[in-house]
Amino acid sequence: MSCTVRIASPLHSYTSGAATVEGRGGTLAEVLGDLEQRFPGIRFRMIDEQSRIRPHLRLFVNSQEARDLSAPVGGGDTVHVICALSGG
Amino acid sequence: MTLTPAERARYQRHLALPEIGAPGQEKLKAARVLIVGAGGLGSPAALYLAAAGCGTLGLLDFDRVEVSNLQRQVLFDTAGLAQPKAEAGRERLARLNPEIRVVAHALELKAANVRAVFADYDLILDGSDRLSTRYLVNDACVIYGKPLVSAAIHRFEGQIMTYVPGRGPCYRCLFPEAPDGVVANCAEAGVLGVLPGVLGTLQATEAIKLITHTGTPLIGRLLVYDALELRFSEFRVERRRDCAVCGETPMITEPRDPKPPQAADAPRDGIGRLSAPGLKALLDSGAAAAPHLIDVREPWEFDTGHLPQALNIPTSEFAQRLGELPRAGTTVFICRSGGRSLRACEMALKAGVGKPVNLEGGMLAWAAQVDPTMPVA
Repeated sequence: MSCTVRIASPLHSYTSGAATVEGRGGTLAEVLGDLEQRFPGIRFRMIDEQSRIRPHLRLFVNSQEARDLSAPVGGGDTVHVICALSGG
Repeated sequence: MTLTPAERARYQRHLALPEIGAPGQEKLKAARVLIVGAGGLGSPAALYLAAAGCGTLGLLDFDRVEVSNLQRQVLFDTAGLAQPKAEAGRERLARLNPEIRVVAHALELKAANVRAVFADYDLILDGSDRLSTRYLVNDACVIYGKPLVSAAIHRFEGQIMTYVPGRGPCYRCLFPEAPDGVVANCAEAGVLGVLPGVLGTLQATEAIKLITHTGTPLIGRLLVYDALELRFSEFRVERRRDCAVCGETPMITEPRDPKPPQAADAPRDGIGRLSAPGLKALLDSGAAAAPHLIDVREPWEFDTGHLPQALNIPTSEFAQRLGELPRAGTTVFICRSGGRSLRACEMALKAGVGKPVNLEGGMLAWAAQVDPTMPVA
């Protein structure tokens, strides 16, 4: 299943500058695993060693927040990666 | 607080709005708003709040105006270069609207002074450029019961949310903790100059709405702006019961300073330290085992000026490119002022680099103490 993933600005260095990429998978875990295949290192920036979403980051499937990686992702959904920004 | 004839003339377009009118304008006149950070966000927020007749406006910033600020910080101009921002901003706002009082706070916000500074204000706008300040401001607002309008920017992306204690989530509900290490530092990534104009103006809008009790504030709704696609997205954010500051059993009951920043003078096991003249001497000595030089600044900073022997591995790519680090010999890590390079040293040490050494004071120290012709971005 294919979804759209919108990547937070501080992580664009992993996606060659792309703000929007395609993801595949039926859960958030699968989608992030798919991203990791193509953009090595990006998953670790979002998920810690205990498979928890990092505390300076939020993941949403469409407008619904995902608190863990088991969240289902449907075809055509948009996964939003929102990261704490520091600039002022 | 009644309006004078001069104020009625100045604010007549507000008075013509039934949603604001004289009662709203009088509330604005009585309002006391503190802007933390007179930068890209604080500039438009301050200008619009001053123009709108916000009676007392505090400007808090301990930096001076630099030429690279002027691409986005519209509160300042070329004539104000090198002046303290709080003072230069105060003068500009006083010229814009002599009917209001502007207070310059040329200081760094700390746990030790935040209570005294915030005591004179009813509403806080956060436009600071450090995550540590953002957490300090949030915690103080929760603890002292002050509404907060917080915005942040990075490259082409901005975020804004309004936090009113007791009426919704706080910043820690949104992002419980700051990131560690190299990922934290994104201030060097660059920013589209007009981006903070949009976000700072939204902050002023929220402030005016809160003061005049007009409209629906951005409580519990994170607004994300993508300038490249000209897209606003909104996300609902719930209060966290386990929030460290506004939750049911808060761990943070007093504002506190963050863990000490990774100061260049903090000794760390396994990481060497080198001054700029020390590095010069080492490079000039012609030692058989010349040190490897890794410059961890972003490419645009590197391109402005760098040591000829240096390899550029920016912090944004550092985690992915650890494999390129030399495993043998001494490796000197370099950045602008010594902070990012120290974090790079720590990552390199964990990754098995033999002798990571931090250039203390970074390229600024090199330019100041060794080579004044070295341009530093």
